[in-house]
Amino acid sequence: MENREPILQVRHLRQYFGRKDFKAVDDVSFDVYQGEVFGIVGESGCGKTTTGRAIIKLYNITGGEVFFKGQRISAGPRDFTDAIAAERKATAQRIEDLKKAGDSAGVQAEKQKLKAFIAEQKKAMEEARRDQKDCNKLYRERREKEIKEEYAKKLQGVSGDQKHALEHERDKLLHEAAHENLVTRMQMVFQDPISSLNPRMTVREIIAEGLRIQGIKDEKYINEQVYQMLEMVGLVREHADRYPHEFSGGQRQRIGIARAIIMKPDLIIADEPVSALDVSIQAQVINLLNNLRKEMGLTIVFIAHDLSVVKYFSDRIAVMYFGKMVELAGSDELFAHPMHPYTRSLLSAIPLPDPDYEQRRKRIVYQPALAHDYSKEGPTFREILPGHFVSCNSVEFERYKKEFGI
Amino acid sequence: MSKALEVKNLRISFKVNEGTVKAVRDISFDLEKGETLCIVGESGSGKSVSAKAIMGLLAGNSIVEGGEIIYRGDDLLKYTERDFEKIRGNLITMIFQDPLSSLNPIMRVGKQMTEATILNGKVNRQNAKKDFNQKMQQIQKAMSASGCPSDRVHQNMSKLKAMVKTASTLESAYQLARDYTDSAVLSIDQMLVDVHENDLKLMKERFKELDEKLEKIWDPYLLSKEDKAFTSKLEALRTAENQYDGAHGDDLSAKLQTVQDSLKQALEQTQPDFFAIAYCHLYGDKNALTGKTVEQQNKIARPYLEEQYLGAFLKDLSAALHHAAQETIPWKEKAAKAIRQAMPQFENEKLDKAACEKAAKELSAIVDKSIDRLSLHQNTKATTFHTTMDKNLRRYFHGVGNNPKELKREAKQAAKIEKAAKRHADVGRATPAVLVDLDLTRRNMLNAMEQLAASYEEELAAGQSADFDAQAREMAEALRGMAYTMTNKVTRQVAYDKAIRIMEDVGIKEPRKRFKQYPFEFSGGMRQRIVIAIAVAANPEILICDEPTTALDVTIQAQILELINEVKKRRNISVIFITHDLGVVANMADRVAVMYAGKIVELGTARDIFYHPVHPYTWALLASMPDLDTKESLEAIQGTPPNMVYPPKGDAFAERNQYALAVDFEKEPPLFQVSETHWAATWLLHPKAPKIDPPKSVTDRIRRMRERGEAANGKS
Repeated sequence: MENREPILQVRHLRQYFGRKDFKAVDDVSFDVYQGEVFGIVGESGCGKTTTGRAIIKLYNITGGEVFFKGQRISAGPRDFTDAIAAERKATAQRIEDLKKAGDSAGVQAEKQKLKAFIAEQKKAMEEARRDQKDCNKLYRERREKEIKEEYAKKLQGVSGDQKHALEHERDKLLHEAAHENLVTRMQMVFQDPISSLNPRMTVREIIAEGLRIQGIKDEKYINEQVYQMLEMVGLVREHADRYPHEFSGGQRQRIGIARAIIMKPDLIIADEPVSALDVSIQAQVINLLNNLRKEMGLTIVFIAHDLSVVKYFSDRIAVMYFGKMVELAGSDELFAHPMHPYTRSLLSAIPLPDPDYEQRRKRIVYQPALAHDYSKEGPTFREILPGHFVSCNSVEFERYKKEFGI
Repeated sequence: MSKALEVKNLRISFKVNEGTVKAVRDISFDLEKGETLCIVGESGSGKSVSAKAIMGLLAGNSIVEGGEIIYRGDDLLKYTERDFEKIRGNLITMIFQDPLSSLNPIMRVGKQMTEATILNGKVNRQNAKKDFNQKMQQIQKAMSASGCPSDRVHQNMSKLKAMVKTASTLESAYQLARDYTDSAVLSIDQMLVDVHENDLKLMKERFKELDEKLEKIWDPYLLSKEDKAFTSKLEALRTAENQYDGAHGDDLSAKLQTVQDSLKQALEQTQPDFFAIAYCHLYGDKNALTGKTVEQQNKIARPYLEEQYLGAFLKDLSAALHHAAQETIPWKEKAAKAIRQAMPQFENEKLDKAACEKAAKELSAIVDKSIDRLSLHQNTKATTFHTTMDKNLRRYFHGVGNNPKELKREAKQAAKIEKAAKRHADVGRATPAVLVDLDLTRRNMLNAMEQLAASYEEELAAGQSADFDAQAREMAEALRGMAYTMTNKVTRQVAYDKAIRIMEDVGIKEPRKRFKQYPFEFSGGMRQRIVIAIAVAANPEILICDEPTTALDVTIQAQILELINEVKKRRNISVIFITHDLGVVANMADRVAVMYAGKIVELGTARDIFYHPVHPYTWALLASMPDLDTKESLEAIQGTPPNMVYPPKGDAFAERNQYALAVDFEKEPPLFQVSETHWAATWLLHPKAPKIDPPKSVTDRIRRMRERGEAANGKS
């Protein structure tokens, strides 16, 4: 998995709300690789939905960075302001010391240094702001440059027809790149199929809305696309002119999925897409997502709280607790060797359709105060096994290793 | 085990624009005392509707087409709104799916919790008073009629009244103290955990809470203040509390443990026989009882009561009961005969309005006289006879079926449907008429008559077999129960204390602070706890949970399920649990009913359903749910449930069923019995049906479950 290319990189993502800085997501980092299903689980209010929404730029993130296909699409200013504040404080302390020592030249030098540091940080912040705002344009420029460089190399030493063909190919790619919209390659499927569809729009309008916003005016093309998508998600053409209320929950969720995939995304963020559905319909929607993933080579970030569904569907699973990621591992690995006490408590709470097992099942209660002693050393995210990360401090790190005989 | 609730042939439909939705089509099940029955099914399968029918909460456009819901010998479907007010939220309570919408957002949770307790307390007191006085009067009358001298009757009654009242006053004080003791035991449990946190502030709070409770546990029959052994333990605890400095709580926890042990011991003591003790207090030697243990008091008081009063009284009461029963016998004979005579009139295809109404009126009058009002076991067929006849007659003659305007409309619509069918257009656009099934209403009446006559004839043929002495004892007990509710005054303070205790029971921390908060200040899980607390506060006999955890996540769900199970065990409640999550079913259920399209398709114990499922729909449900070992693609049930405005011919599941037989499309399968506890409605169980095994994914899963079970057994 390591040699695969990450399609999405999240680095130290922070999302705070309100004046008091409610930490919905606090320092979360992970990579999502091309073609995989990445599950995020946790109880309600742990920040899994916020993470999904922050990635797709529904929020202006507070701190950290998000890279999509190698392009930074959002970056938070808080990292820089924090750095400036810290530097100011440190410099003030140093100046105080220097003043006591009577070294006025040193004071001046410190002041200069601080000024330079602030200017540097401000520049970085400006860059972050630009990336956030113009990521589409920047991505286009980068793609164009890459293509030009690539073909410049290829064009060396060829001539005649071959050269002509290559040039033609390059121009076509350049044209495509010039019209590429990076953020539309990432789409979201929402939890509630009732409230996420506009009741006053027909299914056709709902599905085609994305294309229209992109400036496509060719009605024939749009209709064709809509029909194709409807068939892809297991609905029929006739459904296009109905309104959302005429559909059952499962069908509505299919419409939501069709709306997402019409933009030909590379990444879908599915925020509890099956939680509101009946068991039998759940299976239909999961099978649909699975098929689409195979057909279109989609990458899916799957956010849910139903662990058996996540286990079934995901390649890797991240467990979140109160805005922090506490464990990240391959799905089989996570269920075979849950290390963090919260993960264990979560796994012990899954009810299975097996009465005898349910009789035996003992729930483990997670009490952070009892489970960890972080008074001496705070936890960090460490890799215990290849690909298996746990949030722990060094004492716990050793203990987990011993417990699982590594 | 006895039955807490019986549902028989229930049929409910809803009037909508397109016609009538057949939401529940002939379901029958029963609920044992103290068991959990899970109803599983997709949305629209009618599971919530059946539950709401039990609570009398059906929407205004609903039509109860037939069936019975028997609770405490009465048919709930015949209850009026006023009758329902007595049992709803009191004897039968419900937990709804969405905790946000089932709480009032502008009322503090405390008020919402105590509201029902206070209101019910008031109503209960009034009702109990009324019932008690009525019963006393009836008894007095019957005693006089049975030839008991009038001064003896008078003496009997006045003594009984005084005794019962004193007993119930003593008892309600005792119960309150007992509740506090129970709650103190729980708080000590919590404290024993908290001691290890080494937090002085937290412990100070806990001490305060515990002390408040300990002040209220004193009752001469539970823990008396003179009990030196216990008070010295308490003293020791107080000293330990004062010395506690926030760390090293070993000494403290030892002291707590000893106090808790004595409290538990007190709770396990024999229950005092208040009836007898009260008599001794009133008419006997009071001093004989002082300074004795509860057990000794019981031993002294009971024989004294029997000897002095109860023996003679019970003899009189038994005679009175006998007399009352005798009196109704000729009327019963008369009623049975009259019914048999009137029955042919109702067997005609078309009923004659004047004659039928007259006959019904006469019959009702006779049946009314044949009811033994004094008896505690009322014959429900007789008591509900009048309403059944009245309702059905009214429906028969005044229903839309006999209305010429309605008939015209129906003819018009039939023509429309026919036309649409010819064009192969969407028949659903044409609206069928809503009609009363005349034949059915007539049969309902005939049934009621037949059953009543049969029960009377049987009773008469059996002759005098009832044990009136036993009945007399039961009556005395019942009178005491009524008196207990009568004296048990629910004040605001009592309701507050009760609410706090229940909030602790359901695991809400800092209940005193939480009591004053609004619902929006609670998280989803906490809100659901409040709803559960409100539901169990009234000490219900039946708790209906309508998807209580669907909106919650796994950890909270697990907590809530544990909570419901615990409350159920502690209070011996019967639970009807509605869900579509099979994992939850496996956790909760003693028995499972699988519903599809308004019918129960499979009914059995949890082990039957999960280890030997026989209905294809159950297979499909099991196969469509991933568990932790599922790797292969899920077998989703294709299609959607049928539109129940037009219930399909034959088995409703046939269309989505890959194992459907030809007969499934023609005829509805009956319930076949698989084993003693297991029924399923599928033609596959018919002896002539081809043998079909469950799909591989289901058999695989069952095999995995077995292996896991064996592995676990091997370990233990």
